[in-house]
Amino acid sequence: CNVPFSRQAFPLPSLPRKQPTVLVVCGPAQNGAIGLVCARHLRIFDYEPTIFYPKRSPDPLYRDFTTQCEKMDIPFLSYLPTEVQLINDAYNAVVDAVLGAEAEAGEGREPCAAILATLKHVRIPIVSLDVPSGWDVEAGSSGGISPDVLVSLSAPKQCARCFLGRQHFVAGRFLPYDVQKKFELNPPDYPGTECVVALRAPR
Amino acid sequence: PRGARLPLTPQSRGGGRVSRPPGVPRSLPRQEEAQAIDQELFTDYKFSVDQLMELAGLSCATAIAKAYPPSSFTTSQPTVLVVCGPGNNGGDGLVCARHLKMFGYEPTVYYPKRPNKPLFEGLTTQCQKMDIPFLSEFPAEAALIDELYGLVVDAIFGFSFKGAVREPFGSILSTLERITAPIASIDIPSGWDVEKGKADGLQPDMLISLTAPKKAAMHFTGRYHFLGGRFVPAALQEKYALNLPPYPETDCVLQLT
Repeated sequence: CNVPFSRQAFPLPSLPRKQPTVLVVCGPAQNGAIGLVCARHLRIFDYEPTIFYPKRSPDPLYRDFTTQCEKMDIPFLSYLPTEVQLINDAYNAVVDAVLGAEAEAGEGREPCAAILATLKHVRIPIVSLDVPSGWDVEAGSSGGISPDVLVSLSAPKQCARCFLGRQHFVAGRFLPYDVQKKFELNPPDYPGTECVVALRAPR
Repeated sequence: PRGARLPLTPQSRGGGRVSRPPGVPRSLPRQEEAQAIDQELFTDYKFSVDQLMELAGLSCATAIAKAYPPSSFTTSQPTVLVVCGPGNNGGDGLVCARHLKMFGYEPTVYYPKRPNKPLFEGLTTQCQKMDIPFLSEFPAEAALIDELYGLVVDAIFGFSFKGAVREPFGSILSTLERITAPIASIDIPSGWDVEKGKADGLQPDMLISLTAPKKAAMHFTGRYHFLGGRFVPAALQEKYALNLPPYPETDCVLQLT
């Protein structure tokens, strides 16, 4: 699932830094794997992604995603700076692909908890994939990270109602109609051949 | 070892990168180079066939949507016949059909020779579950195709094609050569020699070259030539001196003509 939110949320010419750097933080499960795919496409789109992927999944598919990124010369950080200013200075945005809707409270405590503690304090925009990491998938945040952009995968989760950031996209164009009907998803119309649609006008 | 062979032009003899205006490939990949690129993507980069086929099929549907928007069809509905061959080109066609459905077209698939592999079985199921009909026989007459469909997607043979055309595809291609509806060919017009083309063969209106245009593309005389398959890493592009022009923004296709 390609996630080309980049042009709409952060078009290349609009980035504040001279280099179009983006930090992609990937968790240990599916959400992290989606982050790896996203990083690869960002590279194809001429951004300069860097990945932080501390706990790598043993799943062969996800390991192949890692190889693809490595072979495309996408650097992998060996640690995430705890000094937030370093992150603010080096990157234009952070992609939060740490925890998704499947995460349960207590799953993957470390290093996710430490990562989220750092991300809470970054000043550069955060783009969360599917669920802002650390949020309860239904109830939302209680002092967790505040993403600037949310990309809901397939359909928005309950906690999206608590999202207060600038832009909310849905990437769900690949859902077959019978699945949409079965779950009463009622998706919006996707413009042209786009695979994402903005749910709310940008502020 | 056999690999990229740089051309023997003065600039490249030193091993440096040939600098050339974008959109003017030094040379279009030959069949074995195209196969070598694919092999590297699977073996070194560890892409799966599924991944690349999905991106390729999506490119085809996107290119078609740009050149033949539903509103441009003369048939009452934007009906499209997708003819799928026995190999990967056919798989690209199945993915394309599914995305065309998502984009508001009404595709119908003809898929007479289906490989016994989970990849193709999965793609077929996905189409069927999206209510895309599969014809049990190919329309017997060119006139019938013209009446029913506003566009035909040729997903029969791709860049690995060699040798004689086996049935039922020989008859299918003969019929397709007589239709007036536009044909969009995926990667190589089916039946063409991958390098030399085929003067008396299929003459598609659109060609969607995947990864890079092949030598046969030089013989293409249709209206629309698109590039798709935006997944080739920069290092591979340089190794094979593909010199691809840049894609616009985050688009997955580039219109070459």
